[in-house]
Amino acid sequence: MVGIVNARIETVSDGVIDEGQIVISEGKIFDIGTDVNLDYCSQIIDARGRTVTPGIIDAHTHIGLHEQGIGWEGNDVNEAGNPVAPWCRARDGINMLDEAFEMFRQSGITSIGVFPGSANVVGGTGIAIKCCGTIVDEAVIKDPVGMKVALGENPKRVYGEMKKTPSTRMANAAVLRDLLTRTKYYLEAKSRGKNGLKTDRECEAMIPVIKKEIPLIIHCHRHDDIVTAVRICREFDVKFVLEHVTDGYMLVDFLKEQDTHCALGPLLSPHLKVENCNGTFRTPVYFAREGVPFCLITDHPVISGKNIILTAAIAIQWGLSHEDALRAITLEAARHLGIDDRVGSLEKGKDADLVIWSDDPFEFTTFVDITIINGEIVYKR
Amino acid sequence: MLLLKGAKIYPVVGDVLEEGMILVGDDGKIKEIGKEISAPDDAEILDLTDKVVIPGLIDCHSHLGIWGDGEGPSSYDGNESVDPITPQIRAIESANPLQSSFEAAREGGITTVQILPGSSNPIGGLGFVCKTYGNIIDEMTLKNPSALKGALGENPKRNHGQNRKQAPFTRMGIASLIRNYFYEAAEYGQRKEKAEVSGEPFCIDLKYESGLKVLKKEIPFRIHAHRQDDIVTAIRLCEELDIDYSIEHCTEGHLIAEYLGKKKVTAMVGPGLSAPQKTENARLTNINAAILNKAGVKVCLITDHPFLNCRYFLHYAAIAYKYGLPFEEAMKSITLYPAEALGIRDRVGSLEVGKDADFVVLGGEPFTLKGRVEATYIEGRCVWKRELY
Repeated sequence: MVGIVNARIETVSDGVIDEGQIVISEGKIFDIGTDVNLDYCSQIIDARGRTVTPGIIDAHTHIGLHEQGIGWEGNDVNEAGNPVAPWCRARDGINMLDEAFEMFRQSGITSIGVFPGSANVVGGTGIAIKCCGTIVDEAVIKDPVGMKVALGENPKRVYGEMKKTPSTRMANAAVLRDLLTRTKYYLEAKSRGKNGLKTDRECEAMIPVIKKEIPLIIHCHRHDDIVTAVRICREFDVKFVLEHVTDGYMLVDFLKEQDTHCALGPLLSPHLKVENCNGTFRTPVYFAREGVPFCLITDHPVISGKNIILTAAIAIQWGLSHEDALRAITLEAARHLGIDDRVGSLEKGKDADLVIWSDDPFEFTTFVDITIINGEIVYKR
Repeated sequence: MLLLKGAKIYPVVGDVLEEGMILVGDDGKIKEIGKEISAPDDAEILDLTDKVVIPGLIDCHSHLGIWGDGEGPSSYDGNESVDPITPQIRAIESANPLQSSFEAAREGGITTVQILPGSSNPIGGLGFVCKTYGNIIDEMTLKNPSALKGALGENPKRNHGQNRKQAPFTRMGIASLIRNYFYEAAEYGQRKEKAEVSGEPFCIDLKYESGLKVLKKEIPFRIHAHRQDDIVTAIRLCEELDIDYSIEHCTEGHLIAEYLGKKKVTAMVGPGLSAPQKTENARLTNINAAILNKAGVKVCLITDHPFLNCRYFLHYAAIAYKYGLPFEEAMKSITLYPAEALGIRDRVGSLEVGKDADFVVLGGEPFTLKGRVEATYIEGRCVWKRELY
């Protein structure tokens, strides 16, 4: 057992504990509070003057799929030969030795969502993993977390340039609608044991979506793409979460009515595309005020994952509260991925993923002193 | 006239004023700066109690207005990438001052920028220096041309060799194209001189005129170089040609810092909020600026906007400070040093009498969460103000 003592603990789920203790056992949080039994701890970490938070979670990255510092050879993010590729799995392309993983640990990131890119209308399944180890299968928290879908500029640019469909937003939607329609029929035919039904690998991969076992994870920046995403999901009665949501501040009332969750960002990126030209910290500030659930993302490598804490800090500079900013990169990110039963806050029984910071986590000069994943120290300054 | 009072002032040159005053004349220049100033009765008072004032930030490597921020390919005007040698093109003729990026710069506290062509070509074209507020680019300009842009490494190789199947295909090819260009420009200069002496008619060649300006040291050569060997090649070329230069990006400078210190190099360091996606910037590290500074290299931080969103220039400097660049050096690397490197120190880069009243109002100490940009002033006029959402 390991004990952390004298810490200012931001639990995220249950306020702040001053001068608190945490006991870690078998990779889990065994106890947390101000009067915790430390008798069985073989190691004590004194965190006096320092702050402990849950491990940081970046819910939308391409780490390991789009390796940093390597060109074409390390880029496995988009299977851009067919706009419908639901049979792709992020898990099969992740290089756990991408140098970014070490950088993530240095930055206090302990769990991540990894998704295929947005060249395809249907890109394949995403995964939630721990930010440690060399065997991806051992790092899995949840697989699949959802089916990646992209609306807007990227698919129509990639396929439009090849003189293929989709080359318009209408066709992006049509391609998705067609696949969902076919899958519905396929599932029904299959469950009725229809004779001679040929296995359709596209539909097979989409069955969990139709059965509401996993959500669609939909890339949508522009307001009309966001609305289209909602329209299609309502039409087919599927679960969904929204990614990027750049124009979200224009649609606060609309999104409040939807039972969904938004991953906002990357807000530090330049507005290089037309679809993200309205990128602004208005969106998280408005969402927090109006109760639209959201997390903040970097879309690594678009913005380096190490800057997720900087992203949240700048949101604070624009008016987000400290608490909401921390939630947006811990518990809400876990909710976005459907892994909040295991990670995202410091509670008894949850995974012992946590960060010890030299000072206020959002101050620009604060360092990560220690990162712990599954109770193991994976980084120490 | 405008009188600032109550703020802590970091003039960058001279002592920090805990509670200082600045008097700005109607000409937009700083008339007086000090602890106590008696201003005329009709002066407008700007009460900045509890705020901090620093000079307007200067970004000496930007593509503001030429890269299509939010406008898509119709406004991609940064690279004339068909021909590897395009010294005749001028960034001022692509820059759209009404593009949203100019407002982004003001939001980031940036009041002066050097706008350079991109790095597709070994010789890319002429850059210029301007203020970030206005609607007529010529009226905003402080210096044009301010530099000739060059590029080593991956970008010219990819753009020409890989994509267009034309030279340069290799780093050797890039260096030889640059070398040849300058030797031809030198010969052109001799021919021109001869013609001037003999009075014979002489047809100006705008391609060589740019190179000639560099050879005469009227403007420097600013060379894109990330990898350490590209940086060394840049130095080799410029010493051979006896021209003024700066190293743009200098990403692997930390691996050869001592050499760069010995050569008294000026390094334009950045961008750095995205993860490295090219091989040449794989060794991007937050400690680069600190290591170079310690080795005696003059470091200016840059955004390379849009590659680092210029709204976050001050945050980028905060990161450099966090990773070891001393506070004063970090402040100078975004104000005074770029002003010196661009040869405009008489106008901007610090808060001194006679200089332009370009300044930024922060909510607290620089490089802290509280120290966000609250307002940006150019020549005494408020050009951006933070309104919380």
